Amino acid sequence: MFSFLTSTVGKKYLMGLSGLIWTGFVFAHMAGNMLMFVSPDAYNIYGHNLVTGKLIYFVEGLLILALITHVVLAINLTLENRKARPSRYAMLGSKEKGSRWASRTMAIHGTIILIFIISHLITFKFGTYYETTVDGVVMRDLFRLMIEIFTQPVYLVWYFISLILLGFHLSHGVGSVFQSFGLLHPAYQPMIKTVSWVYAIVVVLGFLSQPIAVFLFHNNGGQA
Amino acid sequence: MSSKVDGKVPAGDLSTMWTDQRFKMKLVNPANKRKHTVIVVGTGLAGASSAATLGELGYNVKAFCVHESPRRAHSVAAQGGINAAKNYQNDGDSIQRLFYDTIKGGDFRSREANVYRLAELSVNIIDQAVAQGVPLAREYGGLLSNRSFGGAQVSRTFYARGQTGQQLLLGAYSEMMRQVEAGTVKLYNRREMLELVVIDGKARGIITRNLLTGEIESHEADCVVMCTGGYSNVFFLSTNAMACAVTAAWKSHKKGAYFANPCFTQIHPTCIPVHGDIQSKLTLMSESLRNDGRVWVPQMKGDKRHPNEIPDSERDYYLERIYPSFGNLAPRDVSSRQAKFRCDEGRGVGETGQAVYLDFRDAINRLGRDKIAERYGNLFQMYEKITGENPYEQPMKIYPAPHYTMGGLWVDYNLMSTIPGLFVAGEANFSDHGANRLGASALMQGLADGYFVVPYTVGDYIAGNKMAPVTTDHEAFRSANQGVRSEIEKLLSIKGTRTVDSFHKELGRLMWEYCGMSRNEAGLKKALEEIPKIRKAFWSDVRIPGEADEVNTELEKACRVADFLELGELMCRDALERKESCGGHFREEYQTPDNEALRDDENFCHVSAWEWKGTDQPQELHKEKLSFENVKLSTRSYK
Amino acid sequence: MADKLINVKLKVWRQKGPKDQGSFKEYDAKNVSTSESFLEMLDQVNENLITKGEDPIVFDHDCREGICGSCGFMINGDAHGPQKSTTVCQLHMRAFKDGDVLVLEPWRASAFPIVKDLMVDRSALDRVISSGGYISTNAGGARDANSILIPKQDADEAMASATCIGCGACVASCKNASAALFTSAKISHMALLPQGQVERERRALLMVEQMDEEGFGACSSTGACSASCPKDISLTNIARMNREFLKASINKKPESSDSGGM
Repeated sequence: MFSFLTSTVGKKYLMGLSGLIWTGFVFAHMAGNMLMFVSPDAYNIYGHNLVTGKLIYFVEGLLILALITHVVLAINLTLENRKARPSRYAMLGSKEKGSRWASRTMAIHGTIILIFIISHLITFKFGTYYETTVDGVVMRDLFRLMIEIFTQPVYLVWYFISLILLGFHLSHGVGSVFQSFGLLHPAYQPMIKTVSWVYAIVVVLGFLSQPIAVFLFHNNGGQA
Repeated sequence: MSSKVDGKVPAGDLSTMWTDQRFKMKLVNPANKRKHTVIVVGTGLAGASSAATLGELGYNVKAFCVHESPRRAHSVAAQGGINAAKNYQNDGDSIQRLFYDTIKGGDFRSREANVYRLAELSVNIIDQAVAQGVPLAREYGGLLSNRSFGGAQVSRTFYARGQTGQQLLLGAYSEMMRQVEAGTVKLYNRREMLELVVIDGKARGIITRNLLTGEIESHEADCVVMCTGGYSNVFFLSTNAMACAVTAAWKSHKKGAYFANPCFTQIHPTCIPVHGDIQSKLTLMSESLRNDGRVWVPQMKGDKRHPNEIPDSERDYYLERIYPSFGNLAPRDVSSRQAKFRCDEGRGVGETGQAVYLDFRDAINRLGRDKIAERYGNLFQMYEKITGENPYEQPMKIYPAPHYTMGGLWVDYNLMSTIPGLFVAGEANFSDHGANRLGASALMQGLADGYFVVPYTVGDYIAGNKMAPVTTDHEAFRSANQGVRSEIEKLLSIKGTRTVDSFHKELGRLMWEYCGMSRNEAGLKKALEEIPKIRKAFWSDVRIPGEADEVNTELEKACRVADFLELGELMCRDALERKESCGGHFREEYQTPDNEALRDDENFCHVSAWEWKGTDQPQELHKEKLSFENVKLSTRSYK
Repeated sequence: MADKLINVKLKVWRQKGPKDQGSFKEYDAKNVSTSESFLEMLDQVNENLITKGEDPIVFDHDCREGICGSCGFMINGDAHGPQKSTTVCQLHMRAFKDGDVLVLEPWRASAFPIVKDLMVDRSALDRVISSGGYISTNAGGARDANSILIPKQDADEAMASATCIGCGACVASCKNASAALFTSAKISHMALLPQGQVERERRALLMVEQMDEEGFGACSSTGACSASCPKDISLTNIARMNREFLKASINKKPESSDSGGM
């Protein structure tokens, strides 16, 4: 099995698998965020339940493991690929014979997304700890933090750029995972393309709906 | 009859001859095979299959390939298919019938015993190819599919789309690469054979030029198998690939191998016409197109109207008119000649007047455009890519072009040349196609020779001859190696004014004019006067840039053209000497009242084998009498 | 279609040998007939260079009918030039306009060292084939061809994969210089046929291993390979290779060195 994992094909399986774990996570994360449209309390209870449950350790562990695998392999593959093709062509080819931009630039948006994940953790998970009490339970007021942060223009720009890049990353990643896993078939190929794009757009719009809502309804920086 | 051109045909009945012969052959002990080295020059169908099979048997094989990879050999370009007497269609085919069709197709100028063996082995080739994973076309029920080809009344042609040669070559190539991995075959790519080394009268090695470094290398062996293809490029413009050359065969000829029937060349009727002076090569349109396409020219001379504006009543469907029973599927030599006659009459079409129409209008009306696209889509697309014209909307323009050479180094029944230890297989030998080759028979011959003949006869030779061990330090190797170096130095030192191609084109035009589709005494004599002049100019005025010790494509070309300039002369002499018309060799003086080839079995039922007598000496002609005991000599008619 | 004469400007990568530094040089191709093929245009440029005493531009080519796979270089960043499903030798000058500037570069990949100018060494592909791209069968032992039934669809699909000409455009156009399309086409061709079953798993393992060893990059599924392929080899081949490789890795049995003993 070791030779499988060191082969280019095996590495792509691992890239795909670790990518899929995060693909699932971002959807769940986005869906959870949607609770802000229910009420600030719902949002905070959701956050509270997440961090107090036992499952969180397993999920966090898995996510960290997947992220490390994904990043380490990405670095390794990128370096190997650079070695396989040390020099570039003087001209970029035509559209008909070329490839999609998103597919060529995975390493670039991948890097930016990694920075975003870290900064996002610093801002939220390890950010200012506000407290609130809901139904007699003291918990973290993440909603307040969220409003506070999404009203900072610089952060907003950064957030938008990162999320749009995430969309491109997903649009190629989700589609190509079928290829890497050996599931590509001519009959489903167009469908796979569509599904990966729809998925990417749904996730990105879901995430972006938060700052947009904050901008529209919470521009005073106050309470909801 | 000179004893040197004894075909060594075993006595006995044709149908058991090859089996008997194999039993009589001496064998090499399996443990001893690896102690024997066999050089295989060329890695097309014949070469790759020989090398693979000899490797499987355990010989120590050195395979030489002029290309970067054996997969690029010109066998790859064969489109239509491969014949085999499988009789899967139950339409009356048999070994006997394939044998007969091939003898008749060759206009009774081939050796019966060789042709019979070819027909016999044809069935094994298909089995072998399928076992290797060659994806030959199948029916829905999973059985192999067949096509019909010219000159036959049964369906015996197996095919893989329009890429049969490619798939068969890849099959042979992959088996050879398996032997490379196994260590029995050592592959030398980008090497061109520039000399044969003969020691004590036996072929013992070759001298090659490494095309990447320019190094002149010596390789010794117990025997040499040459599979270096044909010499159609003597015409400059042909359907052959750019690197196809006579050099290896010619150098062997000059070392003592007789050259047989050099004037037997095949001009393929359906090629895309020449478009200008810069043209480098002609492209074939598969013979299969003539199943549905109708060939015609305008009745009026110099009719410059668009073909679609010429009504049926003013068209001459000349093949259907002259050969009502075979029509547009008349054999290649016949169809080509008729196209030339029409153009000579001034009824040719296109800008140059050197083309005839191949029209699919009626087939499209009858079967619909989709059906035609299904059958010939890739060919139509290729035609449009090259000419910029859409053959669905207007007829194709086609013209004959040099395609294959039936002539080649003389070999006996065991495929050994007049130099002991030099075997010749595939298009490079002369043996099986007489004066005209039928469609889909070239692949068959190359593979029969390589998989099933050479591996046996080489073993018999090795087991039957005690050979003193030689190394490349032997005097013969040293002088051959030095000879090659001096010739290259000489070429590079000329530093004249004209490019290699300009000489090649000049020779090609001359050969096409006087030794092409039809020949006559005056023309051949003129060519025999002109060729030495071109040769002289070449050796005093050719310009080859660059050095000997680097990639030097002009030098490569020059070495090849130098040999074509000698071969051309021999072709003309052979054509002049053969005072009859047969197959692809049409002498205008010898024709029937209705312009068909007129054979002279009384005086020319023989193979002409030419012996090199030294520079500036005319070659000496030897004749191998052909006897027909199983097929009656008859006039070939397709009317 | 009427022929026209056009002039184009060429910027060609010139490199004397594998170890030398290369650079672009400019040439004018004047009075080029639009009915000429691209390589004939280069022939014409070369004839002029030779007459002027300069070294001709070296490029690989042979059959000039799109099947041998010898030719191939980049034209303005496109492998084999702008036309789909076309090799350079089948590309004609009518695809270009008067005054066009054409940048010609060799295939670039570590596994394809440059030999000279536009000529590269693709023998890595041969080694990938010899590692396992065959069905072991010695001449003479085959059974009757029709005793193996192959459904037409399977034969056609195998043929579609087998049609690869080994030109290397897939490697050249891939940003990672991956040979996944080439390798997978051969693995697919043989995996689809009943004759190929016995060595199926071994073949996938060995060929992928050799492909990696030659220094080709990994597949990023960008699709540039298939888009540049003159024979339209499909990306589904790569998916099949990945599947075959996974299956083979799971089922892998140790290879015994026991050859039967005495």
